[in-house]
Amino acid sequence: MTTVAAPSAGTALDRVDGPEKVTGRARYAYENVPADLAYAVVVQATVSRGEVRAVDADSVLQLPGMIATIWHENAPRLAPVEDAELTVLQSPRVAYRGQVVAVVVAETLESATEAARLLRVDYRPEPHDVELRPDHPGMYRPDHVNPNYATDSELGDPDTALAFASVVVDATYTTPAQHHNPIEPHATVALWDADGLTLYDATQSTSGVRATIAPLFALPPESVRVISPYVGGGFGGKGAPHAQVVLAALAAKQVGRPVKLAATRRQMFAVTGYRTPTVQRVRLGADEDGKLSAIVHEAFEQTATIKEFAEQTTVVTRMMYAAPHRRTSHRLVRLDVPVPTWMRAPGETPGMFALESAMDELAVACGIDPVELRVRNEPTIDPERGLPFSSRNLVACLRGGAERFGWAGRDPEPGVRRRGRQLIGTGVASSTYPVYRMPSQASARAEPGGGFTVRIAAADIGTGARTVLTQIAADALRVPPAQVRMEVGDSALPRASVAGGSSGTASWGTAVLRACEGLMDALHRRAGDVPPGGLEASADTAEELRSQRPLSRHAYGAQFAEVGVDLDTGEVRVLRLLGAFAAGRIINPKTARSQLIGGMTMGLSMALLEESVMDLEFGDYLNRDLAQYHVAACADVRDVDAFWIEEEDPDLNPMGSKGIGEIGIVGTAAAIANAVYHATGIRVRDLPIRLDRLIGGGI
Amino acid sequence: MDFLRPVTWEQALAYKAERPEATPIQGGTDVMVEINLDKGRPAALLDLNPVAELTRWSTEGTEIRVGAGVTYTRLIAELGPLLPGLAQASRTVGSPQIRNRGTVAGNLGAASPAGDAHPPLLASGAIVEAESVRGTRMIPITEFYTGVKRNALRPDELIRAVRIPAAAGPQYFSKIGTRNAMVIAVCSFAVALHPGERRVGTGIGSAAPTPRRAPEAEEFVAAALDWEGRSPLDPGAARRFGELVAGAAAPIDDVRGRADYRLHSLAVMARRTLGWAWNDYTGRGPA
Ligand SMILES: Cc1cc2nc3c(=O)[nH]c(=O)nc-3n(C[C@H](O)[C@H](O)[C@H](O)COP(=O)(O)OP(=O)(O)OC[C@H]3O[C@@H](n4cnc5c(N)ncnc54)[C@H](O)[C@@H]3O)c2cc1C
Repeated sequence: MTTVAAPSAGTALDRVDGPEKVTGRARYAYENVPADLAYAVVVQATVSRGEVRAVDADSVLQLPGMIATIWHENAPRLAPVEDAELTVLQSPRVAYRGQVVAVVVAETLESATEAARLLRVDYRPEPHDVELRPDHPGMYRPDHVNPNYATDSELGDPDTALAFASVVVDATYTTPAQHHNPIEPHATVALWDADGLTLYDATQSTSGVRATIAPLFALPPESVRVISPYVGGGFGGKGAPHAQVVLAALAAKQVGRPVKLAATRRQMFAVTGYRTPTVQRVRLGADEDGKLSAIVHEAFEQTATIKEFAEQTTVVTRMMYAAPHRRTSHRLVRLDVPVPTWMRAPGETPGMFALESAMDELAVACGIDPVELRVRNEPTIDPERGLPFSSRNLVACLRGGAERFGWAGRDPEPGVRRRGRQLIGTGVASSTYPVYRMPSQASARAEPGGGFTVRIAAADIGTGARTVLTQIAADALRVPPAQVRMEVGDSALPRASVAGGSSGTASWGTAVLRACEGLMDALHRRAGDVPPGGLEASADTAEELRSQRPLSRHAYGAQFAEVGVDLDTGEVRVLRLLGAFAAGRIINPKTARSQLIGGMTMGLSMALLEESVMDLEFGDYLNRDLAQYHVAACADVRDVDAFWIEEEDPDLNPMGSKGIGEIGIVGTAAAIANAVYHATGIRVRDLPIRLDRLIGGGI
Repeated sequence: MDFLRPVTWEQALAYKAERPEATPIQGGTDVMVEINLDKGRPAALLDLNPVAELTRWSTEGTEIRVGAGVTYTRLIAELGPLLPGLAQASRTVGSPQIRNRGTVAGNLGAASPAGDAHPPLLASGAIVEAESVRGTRMIPITEFYTGVKRNALRPDELIRAVRIPAAAGPQYFSKIGTRNAMVIAVCSFAVALHPGERRVGTGIGSAAPTPRRAPEAEEFVAAALDWEGRSPLDPGAARRFGELVAGAAAPIDDVRGRADYRLHSLAVMARRTLGWAWNDYTGRGPA
C-alpha cells in the first residue's frame, strides 16, 4: 500500500460510469422489474379547486387486468406529517388542477393507463384563484425563505437614500413559471417485504427520501431502503420526494405486490414541482459615478395552498454590492396551483436576472461601463452579514472575462451595430452562488485482494459526482483512481446530504476524504497489511462542519453574451456566451466545464424560451410537453465557453472547492437581456425575451 | 385496435375501402404523437410502410411525382435541385430523426395549418394524387385543405403521391420559430417564381385556419415585376407585396405568438423571399 500516484484531482478524468451509461448497463429506477410487478397510473384532478365527491372505482375494476383503484376513501392511512404534498389520497380536497385524486393498479401499464383514462371522478368544483399579482390581497410575509433565510432585511434608511440619490433606477422585472424537465421523468418502483419498504427511485437524495418517507408509513428509517444509482437529471425537481414516491409505496402496500409508477412528461407539469413565477421590483440609488447608496429588492411569488415554498429571490442582493442603505423582502400568495420547489439555483436565478438587469440600467443611466460599475461597487466585507469573505474574486472574473471576451472599447450606444439585417449587442452580468456544506458520512475499505471500496449515499444525477469523489478518494489513498470503487446512490450506504445547493462535492468530498484518511491511518498502524476480512474506516463530518469559522462563502462569476437580433422579425440568436468563474479549486476540469456550460445553456434557455403558461380559465399550465415548453435545442447554442481563475481558499473544505453545479445559470439571462438592450435599445424586463416582445417593443 | 399491414398498393386500397375508419400510418411522426396524447383512438391502423412502391419518386414530363413514402431526408438529398422550395421547407422539419421518418404525404394527411410542406406546395401549384378502389382523383392543392387539420380526402381514399411541377424559377421558403430547431412554425411563407408564365406563387403557413395562397399579392407582384428587363425589385413593390401577403392571412393569438406579430413577420418573410428569388432570377445573386 505504498503506491504513490500523481494526484488525480485537477485532472480531466473521464466519467467512471461512462461505459455503463453508453452501453445501457446503467439501470435507472424505471428499469427495475421485481417479480410479480404491478403497474400504477395516477388520475389527476380535472378541477382546479373543490372536492372529490365520488370515484366510480367499481366499474373500472371490471376491466381486464385491473387490480385496484385507490382513492381517499379506501387508501391506506398515512401518518399525519406537515408536508401536505406527500399526504396523498387522504382527503377529498382538491388543491390544484392536476393533483392526484386516485391511482389505478393493473397487471400491465397499458391496462392501468386505460383504466385511469376511463375512471369517472365526480367533483364539487369551486372557483379558483391562480393568478400571481403583486397587489394580490392574499400577499403575506412568510416566516423565512428557502432554505432558512430571513424573509426581509433592512440596513440604514433606503427610502431617504433613494430620495436623495442623483441617479435612481426603479424597475419591475418578471420571470415566468418554469419546469425542470429532466430527461428522465420521475419514477419509483416500490416493494414491501418482511424487512420493510424498498424504493427504486429517481432521486437527488436517497437518505432524504428515506428520512421523509419512513414517518409517513410509521416506519423506523432503517426499514426503508432507497436505491438510486443512476439518475437522468434532476435540477432540483428530484431534490425532495414528490407525490409519486408516496403513491407507489402506498399502492404497493394496498395491493400487496411491487408497484411501478412513473410520471409522464405531461403529468410532470403538475406533480413534480416547478419554479414560482416572480415579480420583482428593484430600486437602485447612486451618485453620478455610479456608487450605490441604496439597494431595494422586493419579490412577489406564489406558493400552493397545501404547502409553502418561498423562493429566496432577493437573498442574493444582500451580499452582491456595497451600499449603506438597503432593503430586501419576499411576499408570497397561496394560490390554487401546484407546489413549487427548488429549481436550478433557486433564488439566485430569478433574483440575479432582476438585480443584474437593474445594474445594467444603472450603468446606462450613469454613462459608466457595466463592468466598471460593478467593480466600483465591490464590497470589502459581506454588506449585510458584516463577515469577511473567505475569498471573493468577482472583480477578477469581470476583468478576466472582459479580456477574453474582447470587451474593451465597447461602444455603449444601443441599437447602432448592424451585421446585415442583424443588430448586434453585447452584455455582461455578475454571477454568484453560496458555498454550502452539509454533514455526511462515508466509509472507505481496503479490500483483501487489493483495491479500495468507498461508500457514501451520495447521488450522481449526471453531474459527475461519482467521478470526482473517486478522484478525491484516490488522492487521499494515494492510489490511481482505477483502484477505487466508488459506491453511491443507495440509502444503505453511509448517510449523505442531498445533491442540491451545489454542495455535493464539498459535503460528500469531505466525508470521503476523512474516511480515506482514517483508513490510511489504520493501514499505517498495520504497516500496510490488509487483514483477510479487509479493513474499513468511516467518517462523519457533523463535528467538523460545526467548528467551521463564520465567514461569507460564495463562488463568483461573470457572464458575457453577444447577441444578434433580426431587425425585422425580432429573432434573437445568442452568438457567443462566455462565463468566467472563481469557484475555488476545480477538481475535474472536464466535468466542471460540462457543469458550467450546462448551467449557462439553461440560462440561455431561460432568457429566450422557457415559460410555463398558466391557463387562467382552467387553472393549469397549458404547454405541458416539450413541443410547447421550449428548452434550448443544440441549434440555439452556438458558442458557449467557460473558464475559471485559479482560486486558493483555505477556508472552505479540505479540497478547497466551491460548488459549480448551479452558478452557470446565475446571471446568464441578465447578460443576454443586457446584450439585447445593447443591440436594440429595447429593455426587456419580462422573461422570456419573446419575438413579439421585441417587435411590439419597437425595433 | 387492429393493425392492418398491406404489402401492395391494391391491398392498401382494399383495406381502406373495407375499413374507411382506419388511420393510415406512414412515418408515424404525427399519428404516434396523437395516440400518445390520447387524442382519439383509431379503431385500426393501416400501415403503409410495407408498400414499397410508395417510397419511389419519378419524373413525368415537367412534373415530379413524389410517392407518399418518400421521407424528408430523401427529398432533401435527392430532389433539392428539382423542388428547391419543398426541399428548403423539409430541412426545417423537426430533427434528423423526424426527417428520417416523416413524409410530405403525412404532412398533408395531418393538414395542420403549421405544417411546413404546405407553403411550398401551394406556391408551386402541387396536385395531390388521391386514390381509392373507385379510382384516382387529382386534387389541386388549393382545394385540398378544408379546415383546421382537415383535408379533402374521402374516407376510402389514400394519398398515392404528390405531383409537383419541377421548379421553373427560383423558389424560397422561410419560417419563424421561437427556437432554432425542433420548432413548430410561428408562421411561414413560400414563394415560387414561374417566369415562363410571368407568375408568382405564394403559400402562407401557420397564419390562418388552413395553409393558403395570397392571390392578390401574387397578381400584384406578377404585374409589378419587370420580367423582361429584369430590373431590380422596386422596394415599394416589395413592401406592397408584403402587405398584401399579410392581408391574406387570418392569424390568431396563441402560445407560439401573437396575431399582430404573425402579420408583421409574414410581411417581412414575403418581402425577403421575393427579394432573394428575384435576385436569383435577375442573376444578381443573393441579396
Ligand atoms: C418531434 C417532432 C417534430 C416535428 N416537427 C415538425 C416540423 O418542424 N414541421 C412540420 O411540418 N411537422 C413537424 N412534425 C410533424 C410531422 O413530423 C409531420 O407532419 C410529418 O410530415 C408527418 O409525416 P408522417 O409520414 O410521419 O405522417 P404520419 O404520422 O404517418 O401520418 C400523419 C397523418 O397523415 C395520414 N396519412 C399518412 N400517410 C397517408 C397516406 N398515404 N394517405 C392518406 N393519409 C395518410 C395519417 O393517417 C395521419 O393522419 C413534427 C413531429 C414531431 C414528433
